[in-house]
Amino acid sequence: MNDFFRKLGWLARRAAKERELREELEFHLAEEANEREATGLPEEQARRAARRDLGNFTLVQEDTRAEWGWTILEQFVQDVRYAVRTMMHNRAFTAVAVISLALGIGANTVIYSFMDAILLRTLPVARPESLAVLNWHSNEPKGARPNHVMHGMDGSTWTEDNGVSSGIFPFGTFELLRENGAIFSSLFAYYPTGKRTVLVKAQAEIAAGEYVSGDYFRGLEVPPAAGRLLLADDDRVSAPLVTAISTRLSERLYGDAANAVGQPITIDNLPFTVVGVTPSEFFGVDPNASPDFYVPMHANLVLDGTESWAKTAETYLDRNHYWVEMMGRLRPGVSLEQARSVLGPQFQQWVGATATNERELESLPALRVKEGAAGLDTLRREYSKPLYLLWAMVGLILAIACANIANLLLSRATARQREMAVRLSIGAPRMRLIRQLLTESIVLALAGGVLGILLAFWGVRALTLLLANGQSDFPLGAELNWHVLTMTLALSVLCGGFFGLAPAFQATRADVTPALKGERASGQRWRAGLTRWRVGLSQVLVILQLVFSLLMLVAAGLFVRTLGNLQSIQMGFNRENVLLFELNARQAGHRDPEIVAFYEEMRKRFEAIPGVRTATLSHASLLDAGRGLELRVAGTPAPDTWILNTGPNFFSTMQIPMLAGREIEERDRPSSPGIVVVNERFVKTHFGRENPLGRRVTLGGPHPRDMEIVGVCANAHYGQLKDDIRAVIYIPYNQGDYPLVQQMVYALRTAGDPSAYAKTVREIVQQADSHIPVMNVTTQAVEIDRKMNQEIIFAWLCTDFAILALVIASVGLYGTMSYAVARRKGEIGIRMALGAQRGTVERMILGEVCVLAAVGLGIGLPAAFVASRLVESFLFGVRASDPLAALLAVFVLVCAALTAGYIPARTASRIDPITAIRYE
Amino acid sequence: MSSDTPSRVELLQGTLDLLILQTLLAGSSHGHAIAKHIQRTSEELLQVETGSLYPALHRLEAKGWIAASWELSDKRKRARFYRLTARGRKQLAAEQSKWEAFSRAIGLVLNPAEQEER
Repeated sequence: MNDFFRKLGWLARRAAKERELREELEFHLAEEANEREATGLPEEQARRAARRDLGNFTLVQEDTRAEWGWTILEQFVQDVRYAVRTMMHNRAFTAVAVISLALGIGANTVIYSFMDAILLRTLPVARPESLAVLNWHSNEPKGARPNHVMHGMDGSTWTEDNGVSSGIFPFGTFELLRENGAIFSSLFAYYPTGKRTVLVKAQAEIAAGEYVSGDYFRGLEVPPAAGRLLLADDDRVSAPLVTAISTRLSERLYGDAANAVGQPITIDNLPFTVVGVTPSEFFGVDPNASPDFYVPMHANLVLDGTESWAKTAETYLDRNHYWVEMMGRLRPGVSLEQARSVLGPQFQQWVGATATNERELESLPALRVKEGAAGLDTLRREYSKPLYLLWAMVGLILAIACANIANLLLSRATARQREMAVRLSIGAPRMRLIRQLLTESIVLALAGGVLGILLAFWGVRALTLLLANGQSDFPLGAELNWHVLTMTLALSVLCGGFFGLAPAFQATRADVTPALKGERASGQRWRAGLTRWRVGLSQVLVILQLVFSLLMLVAAGLFVRTLGNLQSIQMGFNRENVLLFELNARQAGHRDPEIVAFYEEMRKRFEAIPGVRTATLSHASLLDAGRGLELRVAGTPAPDTWILNTGPNFFSTMQIPMLAGREIEERDRPSSPGIVVVNERFVKTHFGRENPLGRRVTLGGPHPRDMEIVGVCANAHYGQLKDDIRAVIYIPYNQGDYPLVQQMVYALRTAGDPSAYAKTVREIVQQADSHIPVMNVTTQAVEIDRKMNQEIIFAWLCTDFAILALVIASVGLYGTMSYAVARRKGEIGIRMALGAQRGTVERMILGEVCVLAAVGLGIGLPAAFVASRLVESFLFGVRASDPLAALLAVFVLVCAALTAGYIPARTASRIDPITAIRYE
Repeated sequence: MSSDTPSRVELLQGTLDLLILQTLLAGSSHGHAIAKHIQRTSEELLQVETGSLYPALHRLEAKGWIAASWELSDKRKRARFYRLTARGRKQLAAEQSKWEAFSRAIGLVLNPAEQEER
C-alpha cells in the first residue's frame, strides 16, 4: 500500500521526476568522463567514450521510467487523448455514435432506476434480511368465496398460481403464531387505517395511517426520531389513545419532530396524544404506502366504532374473519425453509378447525412464508410485469444503438487499415493497437453514457410525472442513485468494449504489405475476402436492427390500438363537464340521522352555484364503486349484482338515459317508501321481457328491506372499464340503515370547465363545516384517463421507443449504404461509363436496401408474432396477432428504410464516371 | 547488453539487486560510485551496465528497499545518493541467504566428486 502511495506521489510530480532522472544520468556521464580523463584521455574523447559506454541515453531513460510503475497508466492517458482527438476530428461520426448510444443508455437508465426503486430496494430498517412476511394461498379461485373458511375479509387478495393469495389473517392466527418463540424473535401485525381526517389548528386534513400491534416497532427495530414509538402496553383494550406520527406529518403540524412529542392530535374527532415520531426514511412495511401516523391495533375499537367495517371485541375472536397482516423477525440462524416447515403444519391444523363444512375443508388456505426484506410486494405485483416489458424494449433500443456503433466502427476500421499497417510495420505490438482502439470505443461509449445520464435525469422526472398522473402522494421515488449510476457506467464500458472488439481485431489483423501498397495495387484476393467478411457482418447488423425495430413498431401499434379501443368505450354516461370530489362527514363527527340531512343540504348548496346545472352524490364514483351485498329478487338470490347508493338527480347529472319509469328524486326521503332504479342488464337477467316496474327487490343485512323498482336506466360502466356491463341497482343513499352512510362522492354537471368550480366548492364546504376536508377533487374525464393510465403510458412510451429505434436503425442503414456506395465508386463508375442510366443505378442501390429490408421483415414478422404473445395481457380489444398493427409496422419500416437508402442511392447516381474511374 | 570481453562475467538475472543492496550496506552512495564499487570489488570481473543500473536503482526505490536524496558529491557536485532502508536491510539478508543456498547447490552439482570424498 505504501508503495502504491509512493508511486502515486511520483505521478503527481512527474515533470520534476523526469528532470531529476536526466540530471542523475548526466551526473553519471560527467563522473565517467572525469574518470577517463584521469587515465589520460583528452577531454573530448573522454566524454565521447563515456557516452558510448552509457549506450542509448533515451532508452536508459525509458527503461528507468518504466520502473516507476505507471507505464500502463501513461499509455492509457495517451490513448484517451488520442481517442478524444480522433473523435473531434470525425465530428459527424462521433455525434451519431454518441447520440445514439446516449439515447440507448439513457432509456435503460430510466427504466433501471424504476426497477431499482420498485423491485430491488429493501426496507430502511436494521437487518431487513431476517424479516419474513406471512401470506396464505388457496387453490380455490376467487369469487367462490362461499366455499372458503374466510367468511369475511377486510384487505386485498390477488390471483396467484391459479388460485387466490392474500396477506390477511384472523387475529387468532396472529395469537397462535406469536406463541411460537422458536422461529420468530418477534411477530407483529398491522393493517392500514385508510384515509382519516386529522385536525390541525381547526383545519381538516387527510392522512393515512396504520394500525400496528404492540411489537411492531420493536420487531422492525426502528429507533424513534423523537419521543418513543408504540409499545406492547399501548396496544390493549381501553389504553390511553396514543399515536406515533411520521417525520413528515410532525413537520407539517408542529414544525419539527421534537416539538411534536406530547402534543394532542385529533384523528376522526377523537383526541390522541403524540408520543413519538418515526425516522424520516421509515415508510412502514409497504413501499406502496407511506403512513402518516401509527396507532395501536386495539385503538380500532374506538376509532372505527362507528364505521360499517367496525371492529368489535368479537372481531378479535372471530376465527373466520380475515383482516390482520403479519410480519416477523426470524431468530438468528432460522431459515425461511425452517419457518415454513414449522409454521405451515401449525397453521394447517388451526385453520382446519375453523372450517364449518366439507367444502371449506377442501379449499383450506395454506401458509406461505415469504422474504420480507423488501417489505410487502404490492408495488412489485402491480409494476413488475410492465417494468420487465419496458426493460425488454429499452434493451432492444440499446442493442440497436450498439449495432450502430459496431457498424460505424467497422467501416472506420477499414478506412484506417493503412494507418494500422504503418504502425504494425514499424513495430507496434498488435495488443497495444487493439488496446488503443478499444480505448477509443470505450471513450466513445462513456461519452454516450454521460450524455445518457443527463437524458435520464430528465427521463426519470418525466416518467414519474407520467406514472403519478396527478397523484400527489405517489409513492414511487425513483432516483439516480449510486447503484443506478454504477450500472449505467458498467453498461457503457461493456457496450464500448464489446462492440469495439470485433472492429479492433479486424483493423489490426492487416497483412501489412498489401495495405501499405495502397488500394490501387491491392492484392485483389486478400481485399475481396476481407471485404466480403466486413460487409457480411455489417449487413447482419443492419438486418438485426431492422428486426428489432419491427418488434418495437408492432408493439407500439398494438398499444396504440389498445388505447384507441379503451378511449372509444361507450361509458353509458357523459364524461365531459363533470366535477367529482369526496366528503366524509362521519369522520368529522356527523351521526345518523343528521348526516343524510347534512349531505342533502350540501348537495343543494352545490346545485345553487351559478354555472352548476345539477348536483348529485353517490357512495363512490361510478368507476370506483364496487359494492356487492346480499340481494333477493322475489325471494331468489341475485348474486353478481352491484349496488350504487345515490342521491337525487344522479341520472340527469351523469346523463344516463332512463328507459322506463323515473329516476331517484328529492321526494325519496328517509321516511318515504323504499325504491330502487335498476339497469337494463339487471332487467334482462331477472325479468327477461316482463315489465320490471312495480316489482320488488330485497336488500339483506341486519334488517332486510323491501324496495320497489320505479325506474329502468340504460347500462353504464360500473367499477371498471374493460369488462362487460354489470347488473347494477341504484338505491337512495338516505333510505334504510344499511349500509351505513359514510363518505360521499359528489358529481356536479357544470357549464364549461368543471375544475374551475373546485375553489367555490371548497369555500362552501369550509363554511358549512371546517372539519371536513374536500378530497380527491377531479373531473370525470380525468378519472377515466387515470383508469387507463397504464395503457396510456405504454402507448406513449412504446411509440416513442419505436420511433427512437427506427431513427437509430435508419442512421445505421444510411451509414452502411453510404459506405458501400463509397467503396463501390469504381464499379458504379464503370457501369455508368458502359451506359447505365442514373435511374438504373438508383434502383440498384435501393434494390439492395429492399433486400435488406425484406430479410429483416422475413425474420422480424414471425419474431413479432411470437413476441407479441408476451404483451397479450396488456392489450384490450386487439389480438396479439393483430394484422393491422403488423401491416402498419411493415409499412412504416419499409418507408423508413427507403428514405434512409435514398440518399446514398442518389449519391451513387450522381457519380461522375470519369472521376471515379480515374481515381481507381 | 552483454559484453563479449572474456575477462568479464555477465551478471545473472536478479543478482544486480543483491549487489547494489550489499554495496549500500557500507553507506550511502550515488549510481556511478555503486557501479565502480561493484566492478572494483569483483576484481573487474563484473561489469555493471548503465542501462540496467539505473532501472535497477529506481526499481529498488519503488519497492522501498532503498531511499534517494540529492546531496553533494566529493567533487562538490549535486548527485543523487542512495541509502539502504530498514526494509532493504531485511531484504538483503533474505537475498543473501537465498544466494548462498543457490551457489552451494550449484557447487554441489558441478563438483559431485568432492561430495563423495566427504
